[in-house]
Amino acid sequence: MNPLDQLIEALRILPGIGPKSAQRMAYHLLQRDRAGAARLGQSLGVALERLQHCARCNTFTEAEICERCASPQRDASLLCVVEMPADLAVMEQTHSYRGMYYVLMGRISPLDGVGPRELNLEKLIARAADGVVAEVILATNFTNEGEATAHYVGEVLRTRGVKVSRIARGVPVGGELEHTDIGTLAQAMVERRSL
Amino acid sequence: MNTRQRFDDQPGFVLHTYPWRETSLIVETFTRDHGRLPLMAKGARRPGSAVRGVLMAFQPLAVSWSGKSELKTLTGAYWQGGQALLGGIGLLCGYYLNELLLRLLPREDAHPILFDRYAQTIRALAEGRQTAPLLRSFELALLQELGYGLTLDVVAGSGEIVQEGGNYYFIVERGVLEADGEMGDSATPGSALTGRALLAMAHDDFSDADTLAQAKGLMRRLLQHYLGGQQLESRRILIELQEL
Repeated sequence: MNPLDQLIEALRILPGIGPKSAQRMAYHLLQRDRAGAARLGQSLGVALERLQHCARCNTFTEAEICERCASPQRDASLLCVVEMPADLAVMEQTHSYRGMYYVLMGRISPLDGVGPRELNLEKLIARAADGVVAEVILATNFTNEGEATAHYVGEVLRTRGVKVSRIARGVPVGGELEHTDIGTLAQAMVERRSL
Repeated sequence: MNTRQRFDDQPGFVLHTYPWRETSLIVETFTRDHGRLPLMAKGARRPGSAVRGVLMAFQPLAVSWSGKSELKTLTGAYWQGGQALLGGIGLLCGYYLNELLLRLLPREDAHPILFDRYAQTIRALAEGRQTAPLLRSFELALLQELGYGLTLDVVAGSGEIVQEGGNYYFIVERGVLEADGEMGDSATPGSALTGRALLAMAHDDFSDADTLAQAKGLMRRLLQHYLGGQQLESRRILIELQEL
């Protein structure tokens, strides 16, 4: 295979990129933006070489333990479980949580062949049982896959004596019932709480 | 047939979705009157998409689409409500049902009876009912609806009615046979069935533990055969989760 075909093949590994798009990207990199292409190649190499999963929270980090996990300012008794780094980022924007995180890097999705082995749930189980964590907060998405993940992680941790909670769902803050989608409203009724 | 066809507000369920390009989804739907139908939901992964939160499995929907090619375009999906979301073990069982339908149902082949059974089963799972009888009953309905001619109360060949006190075994693609002293190599171990269990299955009655155990073995063998030996991912994952 010549280098051009090799590049096109390599680009096709990206999600949503078919042969046509891969070809377009390859020509763009070689013809229009050779400096950008060099930067891309270099940063890819550096990232692959230097980044690893944090031993504690599973996000990408250069050190063995990431800055957030090493920080003494954070409450080590709380562990918030999210699906992806983007979820962690948005949770941080709330400025209302000062505990630790664990990023699953996915969710249980039986029809995509993603189960406990693919997610390496053993690592989370070991992390939650470190003796310092007093409560695990499950903040996976409110999709079927997120719910399945929360249910099983919750069950497994509960049987090991860890206190487990799930973030609440319902009508959004500032939301009016009239304009709330009916699925959310129906579930808010099912999950109503007594005052 | 080169007019663009439009269908509005058809009863259906989402079986699975696959991301497509940057912002779209391919949605595998199971509709009552058009069977299993893949639809392209353009822009469904955009933050403001009206169908983003609606295209969820296990929820009764009213689905609209148009187009004349094999992959039609989803033009609307409305939540029909009336049932709680699946959770826990019921959710995993729901994935199993969806995987069976995705693997075994041919595309655009209407199965309204099976659709109603599916909707009923999902509702029962959402209500937290015991899962094993629901699964066996659905598996049997699926195999019968797909035309595999599962006759459980008549002996193959002889045409005799299965007797309550009799002993039988089942051969895939042939049917129920009477077990006599010399069954030979034709019967696989564990394929023994009592007349009582066969008659109960034929009447869709899975309330008895013995019937349930025999039905589980029989359905496993039948499904394995019709799936061509393919492993079901949802089953593997359920087993792995229970081992944690």
